[in-house]
Amino acid sequence: MIMKKEILFIMTAIIIGLSGCSPKISSNITNPKSTLSSNEEVAFLNVEDPLPENLVKIGELRFQDSGFSTDCSFNSLLNKARIEARKNGANIVKVTNKKKPDLWSSCYRLKIDLYNYKGDVSNLEQYELKLD
Amino acid sequence: MSTFFKVAAICLALTFNSCATIISGSRQEVLINSNPKKALVSINEIEMGQTPIQKKLKRNQEYNVILNLEGYKPYRTTLEKKFNVWYVGNVLIGGIIGLVVDPITGAMYKLKPEEINGQPKKGTTYRTDNGMLFITISMEVDPDWEKVGQLERSE
Repeated sequence: MIMKKEILFIMTAIIIGLSGCSPKISSNITNPKSTLSSNEEVAFLNVEDPLPENLVKIGELRFQDSGFSTDCSFNSLLNKARIEARKNGANIVKVTNKKKPDLWSSCYRLKIDLYNYKGDVSNLEQYELKLD
Repeated sequence: MSTFFKVAAICLALTFNSCATIISGSRQEVLINSNPKKALVSINEIEMGQTPIQKKLKRNQEYNVILNLEGYKPYRTTLEKKFNVWYVGNVLIGGIIGLVVDPITGAMYKLKPEEINGQPKKGTTYRTDNGMLFITISMEVDPDWEKVGQLERSE
């Protein structure tokens, strides 16, 4: 016979497992533009990649470990950032701060700026997204 | 999630059990085919190659899949993560550690093509065999394309 405490633990674990495995995303969109279509390219600029001139800043994103995050690799977070970027009319995802997984968290933690660039983003020096 | 906690959980899992991780693994084989074949497959906007194509994908992620073939409309779908029933095995056999380990490894999920009102998206058929997901996409002819001729190799 399973005791009440065990049932509670099992139910909690299932609820956490089902709902809590995504990273925490905070956004501060200050200057949203019209949504970009999925055909429009979005460039990923890593910390060391330079920004071009004549940009319009759209906002900022921050990815943190929710405590139960498992889907939080660098490429996975950038893919999520691209969705947010297009939604707010940005075609550049610039990583401004990157914390790699360490003893305290197995997740990447990123600070990202979103920009709209009038030129062709494919010409920019950029990070190439990979499939994990 | 704390790395220390994950390492501790995985070590304990070696002693105890984690049903879904042992049975299913953290990745799932996915075979994408199309009708007609040789459609260019992109996953998360990364070009993977032409159909039929087989990939081992992480179970704890969702993937955007796009198929492109000249003369046909681009086909977009999503591979969604759904609950893997092997996870329930932890409850049935009392593998409490497995309840923690399976979500960490992603084994508590299985990948499945997106559904609309409980039905696969129009043009998608799929089946699962031994944990491997087989997806076939029927490409729809693009009426904007008109065949004007065909080149034939001369002898």
